[in-house]
Amino acid sequence: MKRAVRLLGTGRPRPLPALALALTLAAGGSAAWAGQDWYRAAHDERAAYAAQRDAALSAGEQAVQNLNTLDHRELEQGLDLWESSTTGELHEQLADGRDEFAAQVKEAKTVSTARVLSGAVTELDDRAGRARVLVALRVTVEAADGAKTDKDSRMLGELTRTGGRWKLSALGQAPVGGTSTG
Amino acid sequence: MTPTWLRRGSAASPNSAEPEPAESGTAELDSAEPEPAEPGTPEPGTPEPDSAEPTPVESGTAEPTPAESGASDPEAAAPRPPNGRLRKAALAGTAAVLVFGGCGFFYAAHQLRSEAPARNQALTDTEATTRVVGDVGNALARVFSYTPDGTAAAERSASTVLDGRAARQYETLFARVREDLTDQRVTLSTRAVRTGVIELDGGRARLLVFLDQTSRKGEGDAEATTAAAQLTVTARLDGDQWRIVDIKAR
Repeated sequence: MKRAVRLLGTGRPRPLPALALALTLAAGGSAAWAGQDWYRAAHDERAAYAAQRDAALSAGEQAVQNLNTLDHRELEQGLDLWESSTTGELHEQLADGRDEFAAQVKEAKTVSTARVLSGAVTELDDRAGRARVLVALRVTVEAADGAKTDKDSRMLGELTRTGGRWKLSALGQAPVGGTSTG
Repeated sequence: MTPTWLRRGSAASPNSAEPEPAESGTAELDSAEPEPAEPGTPEPGTPEPDSAEPTPVESGTAEPTPAESGASDPEAAAPRPPNGRLRKAALAGTAAVLVFGGCGFFYAAHQLRSEAPARNQALTDTEATTRVVGDVGNALARVFSYTPDGTAAAERSASTVLDGRAARQYETLFARVREDLTDQRVTLSTRAVRTGVIELDGGRARLLVFLDQTSRKGEGDAEATTAAAQLTVTARLDGDQWRIVDIKAR
């Protein structure tokens, strides 16, 4: 008690440290709460599912566009892209028919360019790694004589996840006048 | 030149092992685990500062705080008690770390939740997705299906399921074709064949709809033609019903 500086600290009821301790405990409590809140957010299955949905959609749109784009001057490159965008049965079909198809396109000298107008995922099985997408597409075909024609089409694609990447495993036009399946 | 830094550090320690509370507070921020680390780190310094700055013995022994107890145990051999300022600094540092840590977690959690993929409830909220798909499909079928004498029914439906820009588009369209429809005895039936939800965020949704429209001119046995249409539709939840506010042909 010789030093004035210490006076504050030596008194028996010391409200300041008690308050500080209480605040620290409160801070600890809120930090713990925020921590587990963050953990829950980071391990949210819904968020993971949403991320898969978006990955499937962008891969699906890109793949559908790839498969409707082909330039007879860069045939090998285009067909390689077709094969790398697909998997499963569709991939095999494309690989099997590649030579025949390449010969046809070379003969016809066409340039097809596709543009995705809109796309949406209709089904997603995250565990099985399967998804279905709808894609509205505009394909511009330039014939050998330079005449261009636009064709809008509505595609149904089925995607399969292989090695962490979504690839097209089936692709077709949505039938007109067929049965409704939502 | 590590030696300089080392020398300076060791030379300084006797005097400044007990830095100002503010300083120690900032220093603590860096250590990820403040509580266990706190009692350990200043320890080598503690015996010295005490000798340099003798403190009342009572102050330390009277109230050992939880944070300090770890430090005083290994120190039991030394007669020096823990210092009050050290304890305060430790407490302040711990509190600061906890507050910052808490804020960090809170912010990170908020970031994760507000990310675009997580906010879009398309498919993640199955019930809401099914609901909006059903409502929009029905609405389109009702407003774009009519018989030559029944265009009024379609227009009545339109007033309940369309709103905003979509309602105005529809009115303009119908004003133009209403008479033709009656004259040519056109029957149109529309069906949503496939519908996908692009985006669903609470009360707003964007959908891609593939429509089949079957039309027939004249009565009875006339040949029907089916046309395909692709629309992107914006809908808004109004009460418990989705209403279409915009339609764009694709």
